[in-house]
Amino acid sequence: MLGLVVLFPLAYSIKLSFQSYSPIIPNHTGQWVGMDNYQRILHDGDFHHSLIVTAIFVVVAVSLETVLGVVVGIAIDRLRRMRRFATSALLLPMILTPLVVGLMFNFALNAQFGYLTWVFNTLHVAGGDGVLNGSVGALVALIFIDVWEWFPFVALMVVAGLQTIPKEPLEAASIDGASTRQVYWHITLPLLRPILGIAILFRATEAIREFDKVFVLTGGGPGSATAVNDLYQYRVSFLNWDLSYGAALGLVTFAAVLALSFLMYRSLRRKETAR
Amino acid sequence: MTATTVNPKARRMGRTGRMLIALVVVALFLAYLSPVIWLVMSSFKNRVDIFTTSPTVFFKPTLDNYTVAFQDKGFGANLQNSVIIAVISSAVALLVGIPAAYRLSRHGSRFQGAFLLALLSARLLPAMVLSVPLFVLANKVGLSGTYLAVVAAHLTFAIPFTVWMMRGFFLAVPTSLDEAARLDGCSETAAFFRVVLPLTKGGIAATAIFLLINSWNEFLFALILTSRDTATLPVGIPNLLTPIGTFWGQIAAVATVTVVPICIFAFAVQKYMVAGLTGGALANE
Repeated sequence: MLGLVVLFPLAYSIKLSFQSYSPIIPNHTGQWVGMDNYQRILHDGDFHHSLIVTAIFVVVAVSLETVLGVVVGIAIDRLRRMRRFATSALLLPMILTPLVVGLMFNFALNAQFGYLTWVFNTLHVAGGDGVLNGSVGALVALIFIDVWEWFPFVALMVVAGLQTIPKEPLEAASIDGASTRQVYWHITLPLLRPILGIAILFRATEAIREFDKVFVLTGGGPGSATAVNDLYQYRVSFLNWDLSYGAALGLVTFAAVLALSFLMYRSLRRKETAR
Repeated sequence: MTATTVNPKARRMGRTGRMLIALVVVALFLAYLSPVIWLVMSSFKNRVDIFTTSPTVFFKPTLDNYTVAFQDKGFGANLQNSVIIAVISSAVALLVGIPAAYRLSRHGSRFQGAFLLALLSARLLPAMVLSVPLFVLANKVGLSGTYLAVVAAHLTFAIPFTVWMMRGFFLAVPTSLDEAARLDGCSETAAFFRVVLPLTKGGIAATAIFLLINSWNEFLFALILTSRDTATLPVGIPNLLTPIGTFWGQIAAVATVTVVPICIFAFAVQKYMVAGLTGGALANE
């Protein structure tokens, strides 16, 4: 069953990537073109641009999510009565339909009547013509939204991780006169490293395929300022209908994601065994 | 964590100190969730209250956006499509995934490692990579625009998810239990149905709910594989962003209807959230 629904399309995609196929472009009826599509990738400036945008997005967003997640996770762990409320509230953004998250912020950041635009104007922190209309602003907004949506994931993992780590070293350290901050920095954080590694691995592999929010927030614009990899592939495959080239782009991306997660997983394992 | 680990400073704080912390926490979360609150509020506003340069907090609520969107603009059909696709794909994923997960949890075979690795790779597979071949194939066999095409596409992530989640739940049931049932004369199938399945009811329910949420929230496959008649809610909403004007009130109404059911579901499986969000990669606790 899995073979049928996953492997067969994947194999078909590999076949497609060596052909030239498009439902609308003339003379692209599925001729074999060898490595042409792959060679095209090497010289595709728009694709390279999308890789840079994706790299910025993934690295900045996931880093911020990790830092914020650790801080909030530790803060929640210290709460008592508000703890349940806090964890419930943090769950909400993650399970919301990603498309709705994008729309919601598109609405909130609308240049004329968005309430966040009003807040920014009142505080004089952003220009009056709407953050989404500038290329830097749009990318910053996209990163901000991803952090809004996903730092709770890291926070929840931290809360779960804090429950499993042994209490003795913490108590021993505070008896020896370590300050709370020292205990967190020197003992808690290193103990959390394995679970943080998993959280980062998950976030990174998911952020690399960001599509829904960008699609509805900026459509990749202004221009190509927020055209992350998946959005660029969507433009190639479903706006230009260059499906065989889209297939090649997708396979290259998949290979890269696999290699990247393998490397991250390996370094995670090594750190764990080193301790 | 228990009260013993709360730092001494917190313990020294009096009632007012704790009240203050509670207030700060509530205020922070109100600000954090304000985009959601704003969306839901806007769905009850009329045009005049939405299109203002300074935000309107107090307004006379109206249901107009809901009636226009769901009665006049046909979002009722999108709602129905979303339900059909989510229910069918989740049911198939459970039917296929549960037996597979049980096998994997009981029989240590040579292929087990390879199979689990393949499942993990399937989870890493970007939807965009599958969308191109699925689109071409659906068109070639004439399934484009049918429920079947989207359901098949959703199974590409639903089946691996089910196997990973349920394998965790089955591993938590000691093998000695099914062995005892086998000794009492149960067949392997009977042991599974009478002993293991009742013990993992909670896990199955949680898995089912996550499957429903994942299918409900999915956008790309639904976007390229559905037609006007089979479009799900996420696919339908962007149609309200038109060049001649954006119907924000109606967007807010449809978006609210889209997210309310999954919020209710999600709080029912809060206990399993970490497992669900990591696709069963982390323990089901």
